[in-house]
Amino acid sequence: MTLQALLQVLASGLLMGLIYALIAVGLSLIFGLMDVVNFAHGEFLMTAMYAAFGLWLLTTLDPILLAPLVTAFLFAFGALAYMGVVRHAMRVDANVGMVQIFATFGLAILIQGVAQYFFTPDYRSITGTWLGGRTVEFAGIFLPLPQIVGGLVSVAAFGGLYLLMSRTDFGKALEATREDQGAVALVGIDRNRVFTLGWGLGAALVGLAGAVMATFYYIHPQVGGPFALIAYVTVALGGFGSVFGALAAGLIVGLVEALTAMIFPPALKSIGVYSLYLAVVFIRPSGLFGRL
Amino acid sequence: MSDATLVAPAAAPVTDAFAAKRRQQLFTAGLIFAAVAALPLLVKDVYLQNVLVLTLMFAALSQSWNILGGYCGQISLGHALYFGIGAYATSVLFVTYGVSPWFGMVVGGILSAALALALGYPCFRLKGHYFSIATIVIAEIGLLLVHNWDFVGGALGIQWPFSPDSWATLQFARNKVPYFYFALGLFIVVWFVTFLIEDSRWGYWWRAVKDNPEAAESLGVEVFQSKMAAAAVSAFFTAVGGAFYAAFVAYIDPESVMTFRFSLLFALPAVLGGIGTLWGPALGAAILIPLTEVTRSYMGGSGSGLDLIIYGGLIMVVALAKPEGLLSLFRRSPQGRAQS
Amino acid sequence: MFNRRQVLLGGAAAVSLASTGAATRAFAQTKEITIGVIYPMSGASAQVGVDARHALETALELVNNAHDLDLPAAKAAGLAGLGGAKIRLVFADHQADPQKGRAEAERLITQEKVSAIVGAFHSSVSATVSATTERYGVPYIAADSSSPSLHRRNMRFFFRPAAHDEMFSAAMFDFLDAQKKAGQKIDTVGLFFEDTIFGTDSSNVQRKLATERGYKVVSDIKYRANTPSLTSEVQQIKSANPDVLLPSSYTTDAILLVKTMGELGYKPRNILAQAAGFSEKAVFDVVGDRLGGLISRASFSVDMAAKRKSVGVVNDLFKARAGKDLNDNTSRQLMALLILADAIDRAKSAEGPAIRDALAATDIPGERTIMPWARVKFGEDGQNPHADPVLIQYVGGKFVTVFPSAVAVAPPQWPMNAS
Repeated sequence: MTLQALLQVLASGLLMGLIYALIAVGLSLIFGLMDVVNFAHGEFLMTAMYAAFGLWLLTTLDPILLAPLVTAFLFAFGALAYMGVVRHAMRVDANVGMVQIFATFGLAILIQGVAQYFFTPDYRSITGTWLGGRTVEFAGIFLPLPQIVGGLVSVAAFGGLYLLMSRTDFGKALEATREDQGAVALVGIDRNRVFTLGWGLGAALVGLAGAVMATFYYIHPQVGGPFALIAYVTVALGGFGSVFGALAAGLIVGLVEALTAMIFPPALKSIGVYSLYLAVVFIRPSGLFGRL
Repeated sequence: MSDATLVAPAAAPVTDAFAAKRRQQLFTAGLIFAAVAALPLLVKDVYLQNVLVLTLMFAALSQSWNILGGYCGQISLGHALYFGIGAYATSVLFVTYGVSPWFGMVVGGILSAALALALGYPCFRLKGHYFSIATIVIAEIGLLLVHNWDFVGGALGIQWPFSPDSWATLQFARNKVPYFYFALGLFIVVWFVTFLIEDSRWGYWWRAVKDNPEAAESLGVEVFQSKMAAAAVSAFFTAVGGAFYAAFVAYIDPESVMTFRFSLLFALPAVLGGIGTLWGPALGAAILIPLTEVTRSYMGGSGSGLDLIIYGGLIMVVALAKPEGLLSLFRRSPQGRAQS
Repeated sequence: MFNRRQVLLGGAAAVSLASTGAATRAFAQTKEITIGVIYPMSGASAQVGVDARHALETALELVNNAHDLDLPAAKAAGLAGLGGAKIRLVFADHQADPQKGRAEAERLITQEKVSAIVGAFHSSVSATVSATTERYGVPYIAADSSSPSLHRRNMRFFFRPAAHDEMFSAAMFDFLDAQKKAGQKIDTVGLFFEDTIFGTDSSNVQRKLATERGYKVVSDIKYRANTPSLTSEVQQIKSANPDVLLPSSYTTDAILLVKTMGELGYKPRNILAQAAGFSEKAVFDVVGDRLGGLISRASFSVDMAAKRKSVGVVNDLFKARAGKDLNDNTSRQLMALLILADAIDRAKSAEGPAIRDALAATDIPGERTIMPWARVKFGEDGQNPHADPVLIQYVGGKFVTVFPSAVAVAPPQWPMNAS
């Protein structure tokens, strides 16, 4: 293995890691807010990709221009998913976690069915985009433009999220609600409203990821699965609820995955990421940056 | 598992009323089992018999999961690992070495229980979703390893040879009834073990662990050991279920016995019917499995995705309509039996 | 102690006795022959099932209506041997799960009283479905499952008209040998295959053939199917830079592979693909511009229409339904139903054992198929050994048959990036 090959794999892994982080952070946000693992997260990603694809068919605009629309659509989608499904699953106190898993699992299958119904199970792709197929070469290292832009969008999203969490009333309400759900009611914060917006925001982030990915990835009803699994591991590795844990963990997952595939048989590459997760939580039971 | 540990502690309030309730539960169970055992007399259709076998199998598997996930509160989403070990141990021993599946079943069970203990040691330090994700990840590692392990067939899987009908090899070419009774027997055994455990010292510990781990620990309950015991029992029966599945289908490959889908299928009936209850998993399986099969068989052929829409929608509706489990429909007191 | 064959024969005999009454009655009432079809209609491979539906319904149209085509069972409306009886198809979804496939086979046989079953794409599902049809004495046509293990189980009711993986890979290496003989430099090959049964079977044969025929395997990469990223994997091929890259990939991975190769600035010297994803329209829609000169093995080639009228007509019928040309999979599915219909026609019966015997006696010359096959004539094991594949090359946005020379339309461009 040459140094150049190693650098190439590291750079590609890093870019993929930024995308993983962007996919995962919405999940982490929702979890931190209300202790819910959304089993339909992969389907949210898939919905975003189909939304980008559908809008592209309708408007023939470049998918990068459509990203804000997709993000807004997913915001509404997430808020609706909370109001229509998750809110009801939280009514009971007993085994609330399992009911949510169950309800969101049902939602996931439903979304897959709807996608297959409207778009058929065929594999779709957005072609002829500004970024598509362009590659930047630097000292023998190739970086595809769509992924570079995806990485930049991810970094910007994390920056925006930081500002949102630290500078706005909504961010403070989010933070307060995750600290103490009971107490926020006393200071006049409508818990339900914060949850709705929180789900909207979480879905909007994965929507952004989906819009970016639609520029370079294929789209079909099952596309979310592998990414969802990586997102769960990423979120847990970074620490549930920790936004910047998700960023760090996403980068680590991208790098470790790429390196494992380089050193071990590529079919086993996920084992590297999985083992890392186990090693981390066995030492730090709440992930890298999580609070217990 | 010594007898001593399964006897109810002297301190427990063993009143006459309680004993009478237990007797009544056993009596009801006997009636239900007898009624189910008579089903093959009514259901002659092979396809429906197949649905019944799967329902009973998932009832038994979900009950096994329930021992750890429901009673002990450790939400494992990686039980496909134990299912796969049971299926693979039995298939390798039978197909490669000609060892009876009955023996392979026990080997698989013991292997799984041992693995559950080995994994439980580090994993039970983890709480909530960290634990659940760890179980997913471990099962995925198992899946990848089996996928790439040529000795057990790798991706090609293991085909059971055609054999004459026999209880010794658990092979029945067209007759589903023997599989039905095997699955029913497995369910009864797991149900009865759960019944015994519910009222044993373990049962009390687990309820204490589930309700409040810190308090239970401070009260001197051996939280860790009781979790380990739950994991081992649960893994053992899950592996027996896997062994049964291998004999039933007569073909296994990693994708068809070890994927995450199975882990979810063990948990879902319990959640649907009522988690941590004696009859919840069976009730959940009795609804979920026929629903899965029938939507696919009678609507799936079109490829339109409508069957998925209805299946997913119904799961959601059920989960939202009765979040505490469907069993609560049958209960007079909504609090259930967990009194503290 | 019975031996296996006795048990199977006994079972089959019992079935034929038991089912005679029911099947005859059903037939007399409806003048309809029911055939079961088992494909993945939901899940990751759902598109295969949807395409298979179009292919089989096209074949159904050929059988049930009169067509002036020299194809089995196409001439008359319905089955002449059964007084013009029509065929009815019942579709079932196996979701890539062997257990579900078997359950559906049992349902189709016992509830729908099907006379035969066609399936199933996934070789794992074909394994359990064929075991079931064997036990019920109903013929099973494995239209497109290509694992060689399937026909090596001593089954009487299993038939595969198309090639299996060993025949496919042998054709690929025959081609390489021919190129080498013609003076091309081909010393090294790179295996790149997905980790399910398809990729594993395919690569096992290719590895063996490469060693036997003196090609050095410089990269041997098994990757996880549907993986989110193939960067490291492609980087390894790029470093090894084999003379010929031999990918065995389904659609999703094929798209990702080609995109990633482009992103990493890697231009393979030659790609010789084991069909699958590389025969799917979706792949060429997206990354076709990077695949100029790709060669794939195939069971079918549209350009045969120039020599054989039926190919073009059938392809047009299919295209009207599916919106795309017939490909490696759909052609095999379509042909499988025609061969089955022909056997039922000759059997003059709706019953499994009679159709089985008629299938075993099948002898259709290649010209009466839409395939490049020499003929359809099943061996003892149910495999048609005369179903030699062709190699097709993607040139100027369409596929051209380039090998073997007997059916080739144009000489191959070699290396692929030459023009």
